Amino acid sequence: MAHGHHIIPKKTLFSVFAALIGLTLLTVITALTIDFGVLEIPVALAIASTKALLVVIFFMALKYDNRVNALAITVGLVFVSVFIIFTMLDTVFRGDLDNVSNITISQQEREDEQLRAREPDADQLRVAPADFVGVDDDEASAAVDEAATADEAPAQ
Amino acid sequence: MATQTQETQDVQAHGDGHGHHERLQHHFISLDQQFSSAKLGMWLFLVTELLLFSGMFVAYAVYMQWYPEAFAVASEALDWKMGFANTIVLLASSLTVALSIHFIQKGNTKAMITSLSATLGLAVVFLIVKYFEYTDKFSHGIYPGEAFNPTGSYAYLDVPNAVQYFSIYYVMTGIHAVHVIVGMLVFAWLIYRALRHHFSPEWYTPVELGGLYWHFVDLVWIFLFPLLYLL
Repeated sequence: MAHGHHIIPKKTLFSVFAALIGLTLLTVITALTIDFGVLEIPVALAIASTKALLVVIFFMALKYDNRVNALAITVGLVFVSVFIIFTMLDTVFRGDLDNVSNITISQQEREDEQLRAREPDADQLRVAPADFVGVDDDEASAAVDEAATADEAPAQ
Repeated sequence: MATQTQETQDVQAHGDGHGHHERLQHHFISLDQQFSSAKLGMWLFLVTELLLFSGMFVAYAVYMQWYPEAFAVASEALDWKMGFANTIVLLASSLTVALSIHFIQKGNTKAMITSLSATLGLAVVFLIVKYFEYTDKFSHGIYPGEAFNPTGSYAYLDVPNAVQYFSIYYVMTGIHAVHVIVGMLVFAWLIYRALRHHFSPEWYTPVELGGLYWHFVDLVWIFLFPLLYLL
């Protein structure tokens, strides 16, 4: 060995292989016999990740390698998690796209304000006998106005 | 050479007037530095491969979350025994690649050639199993891509959106299989060079990089197997 490469002993390689086979059997057995419910995917992914770590650390020899290679793949994995997490944040919480208003929120707020401005104040909502006289809207509102004045008049 | 280091002193001259290892390229200080640079380059390539496959894994995650019933029923239709067999085959081939590097580090070219040939053989076995899997799907009328209908189902598998599952299944396993074929070409080339005694304990960079590539192909399968066949 001219330049200090770590030779991984055969024994290590074979025990890692045995562990990988064992974990493969474990993932098959857990998936086929045990019902983890919502945890089914996390359990399968945890076993797969353990296997992946064994391959990366021993077969790909990252354990004995220059740390910069571990850094490269770690940065890659960080971006993969950003990719997955942010996509899922969108698709999981997207809700029912058919049940959405087609105007913007600020537009909705403006319309709400206009509606509130149009509402008659409390005095105008008082029921007076004159309310039942009017035939069309204009007459009815005129009757309401009269009723309001009539109510206020005795106090003055 | 005035800058000769301890490492390069005992290597042979390659006949053009200066003494260094015949595999050492002039823009590197030492074989060691050349080896580390090549390996870093390979890891960066593997990061791009990781991002390529992550796009497909994200597609899988999104569609599984949108159509859980279709995915549950459709993944039952896959034969987990075939996927399991292929997992064992690929894990064994990863072991033989790691062993081939172990052997060349110890200067045992013959054992390295045996290991690399075993890897190539296991890759062939993987594709044979894949062939039986695909033809089984074809016999049930499940083809990749043909008349793709996003909400469609099959006569054999009457669940809405089952087509979504199988389009993802074909793309993921198909691109993985392309990687296996590329790996086979790499191993054939490595065996050819090893037979000509191109590799030595001082210089075996192509074997190391081919090995890293093959382990990555194995890694992708480690995640594909439970996601496609078991869940």
